[in-house]
Amino acid sequence: MKKEVLTYIIGGKAGQGTKKAGIVAANFFADLKREVFQMNDYPSLIRGGHNFSVVSTSTSKIYSHYMKADLVVVLDQRSYEIHKDHLVDEGILVFNSDKVKGEGTGIGISSEAKKYDNSDLIEGVAGIAILAVVVGIDKKKLDEIIKKEYGRQIKDNINFSHAIYDSAFEKIKKRFELKQGKKKLVSLSGSEAIGFGAAAAGLDIYFAYPMTPSTPVLHFFANNGKKLGVVTVQPENEIAVANMAIGASFTGARSMVGTSGGGFCLMQEAFSLAGMIESPVLFFLGQRPGPSTGVPTYTEQGELLYSLYPGQGEFPRIVASPGNIEEAFYLTAELLNLVWRFQTPAILLSEKHLTESSMSVSINPNKTNWAQPATHEKGEYNRYKQTGNGISPLLFPPSKRLIKWNSYEHDEQGLTTEDGNLIAKMHDKRRTKLHSLIDYLKKMKTVNIYGDGKPVIFTFGSTTMSVLEALEYGGIKASVIQLVYLQPFPVWELNEHKYRESIVVEQNCTGQLEQLLKDKCEIKPVRSIRQYDGRPFDPQNLAYKIMEVF
Amino acid sequence: MTKNVLDTNAEITWCPGCGNFGILNAFKKAVDKLENKGVNRDSIIISSGIGCHGKIFDYIKLSGLYSIHGRSMATVQGIKIGNPNLKVIAFAGDGDAYGEGIAHMIFAAKRNADITVIVHNNGAYALTTGQFSPTSKKGFKGPSRPEGNIEDPLNPLSLLLEAGATFVARGYSAKMDHLSDLIVEAIMHEGFSVIDVLQPSVVFNNTYKLYNEKAEIIHKPAKNLDGAIKLVKDTKQRMPIGVFYDVRKLVFHKELMGDWNPSQNKMSRNERLKKINEFV
Repeated sequence: MKKEVLTYIIGGKAGQGTKKAGIVAANFFADLKREVFQMNDYPSLIRGGHNFSVVSTSTSKIYSHYMKADLVVVLDQRSYEIHKDHLVDEGILVFNSDKVKGEGTGIGISSEAKKYDNSDLIEGVAGIAILAVVVGIDKKKLDEIIKKEYGRQIKDNINFSHAIYDSAFEKIKKRFELKQGKKKLVSLSGSEAIGFGAAAAGLDIYFAYPMTPSTPVLHFFANNGKKLGVVTVQPENEIAVANMAIGASFTGARSMVGTSGGGFCLMQEAFSLAGMIESPVLFFLGQRPGPSTGVPTYTEQGELLYSLYPGQGEFPRIVASPGNIEEAFYLTAELLNLVWRFQTPAILLSEKHLTESSMSVSINPNKTNWAQPATHEKGEYNRYKQTGNGISPLLFPPSKRLIKWNSYEHDEQGLTTEDGNLIAKMHDKRRTKLHSLIDYLKKMKTVNIYGDGKPVIFTFGSTTMSVLEALEYGGIKASVIQLVYLQPFPVWELNEHKYRESIVVEQNCTGQLEQLLKDKCEIKPVRSIRQYDGRPFDPQNLAYKIMEVF
Repeated sequence: MTKNVLDTNAEITWCPGCGNFGILNAFKKAVDKLENKGVNRDSIIISSGIGCHGKIFDYIKLSGLYSIHGRSMATVQGIKIGNPNLKVIAFAGDGDAYGEGIAHMIFAAKRNADITVIVHNNGAYALTTGQFSPTSKKGFKGPSRPEGNIEDPLNPLSLLLEAGATFVARGYSAKMDHLSDLIVEAIMHEGFSVIDVLQPSVVFNNTYKLYNEKAEIIHKPAKNLDGAIKLVKDTKQRMPIGVFYDVRKLVFHKELMGDWNPSQNKMSRNERLKKINEFV
């Protein structure tokens, strides 16, 4: 690999602030204009267990964390046993000598932390102090970071970090030099990117019931909604979530919901309702390993096929999945506009690996737009007016005109019908709308193609990042074709790649993208690389697997 | 029947003599009264669930959203949050409100959502040919339990009072003027209001005789919650109808967003982008 990558792992128990330390480290690198990728691994519990955060940084674009670290900081014995094998040859392992017996550099982190309130939570700060020592940051700069990142108990945090800094200084000072990058960058989590993207496209209300890994978007709006002008509502269950969002859309408010697989199951009837009444609502579906409760805090792409046809009956559905955090921003905005343009529900499909990881991005909110839907001008109003393109103008209450959205099959006015002629006509209307949608998508970017190597790698969602980083790591020449839109499936983009030698990389057990490529385009990949242990691909391992095939 | 401005050209398909007619006429009358009180008809939004009751959506010339079974209460809460200036009314059957969608009822009451729910309570699933419902009495015979219902009925109003409902009433579809006054009061009430309407089903649960004998108008709400709970349970000798409970409490949308109206005072795109640029 040509580019220089520095990787930092911090591991400990839940409640010791390791995740926070990872995020702080990522922000710190981004401030140096360095590219960064940060991933959190944590079990479904609140205190104890084993959490770790990995941050990889480079001066050139980086799409994944690596599982070989230059600096490992472990706060407890369990973390030591797991991460001692994650060290590169010249790497530095710093352990909490009060809790860990092992080889490396021992520092009495817990005994120092005991001097402060919240002695557990503060231990993560030690990880930042140690990182500062290793990369040669002075205490003044360290203070700035602590002040910026740790809102509470700043004084304690600073005093504690100084003590750790001093005891580490002589042992491991300035081991690595960090070159500054050139471009101004900001580190953003996938969830933040989704939140900002929706806000940029005019979101008014976000409805959600907590469910990992979609919850961080709920928290994002709860924390930033006031400033952004977005209202956040947490109703009693996902059924209420979806139905309230549909109700809100009736008033013209741009609405979005967020959930994960199980919650999305509960939204099915509402999804179909949205299709029938032509309500514009964006559904964010964050995947985790299933079936059923599955593995809540880990990652998978097992709901691809499931997401393509939710809800009963025939109506236009839209499904798209972002391949990186920057794209999550733009795609969310695009989907919110699409649902209003076509008055039909859409799914933003993602995974824990994207929503809960952070990455350096350069985002220009002005590049998004705020699509104006077809609205009624004057005269008699019919909610379901036949227009030729399947899209009927919208009108919102209060109005002198009668506005009827109807879950039953309906006439143009929106009144219930059982007339055979009208039933068929309304079916035709919705099918026409689907065709209008496809025509529109044909002019948009529905697939991303990276690289120009001969063999093709098909992938989608956050796995795209793992594949790109693996190619970079292995110096592999290949073209990566990322399916951004999955419903309607962009067959028109894939025809020219039909007979190229190809493989599929995806994070599920049965090869759902591969199935889709075969069914929709008769593309027969020679090999499928799948990972379904809940963990994202490690680019190093993935590179070896790809090299085996090509 | 004389032509009313609220009539649509939909054909009414309820059984002749159905209690739903009384509710429809009471509601139309209530809209007239509301207009006299300064409520603009255009800002009255209706929704309904699925069942015989739901057909009322097609029969009233008011804007709204014909929702799905058990969800009209959630639908109107969304409409209210989207535009708090609107008066929102959810029609629901006993299967909708007290079966499929009971969670929405309890939580709408709990958060004091400013909505009105009118429950067409006929004690049966009529449109699906008469199965027992959450309010069917024990022994009620229907095609899914021919030997008779083995469950005791729910007392929904008592449940909703406990959940935090701020306006609780019972009406009778055959006492149309009384019911129409209840509807006006419920809609004017700022907060969660529910009217449980005794609605005879002429085919599956003909309760006209029973309620004509038992219905007894009460003229004053109870002084406190305990009194109200006692009143709604006092159904052995008589069937009290009227307002049982009426108290004021800050409503959900105001707790949530003060005077903000998401669909009416939307932040401009430029302002929104400026805020986002400050973050990223």
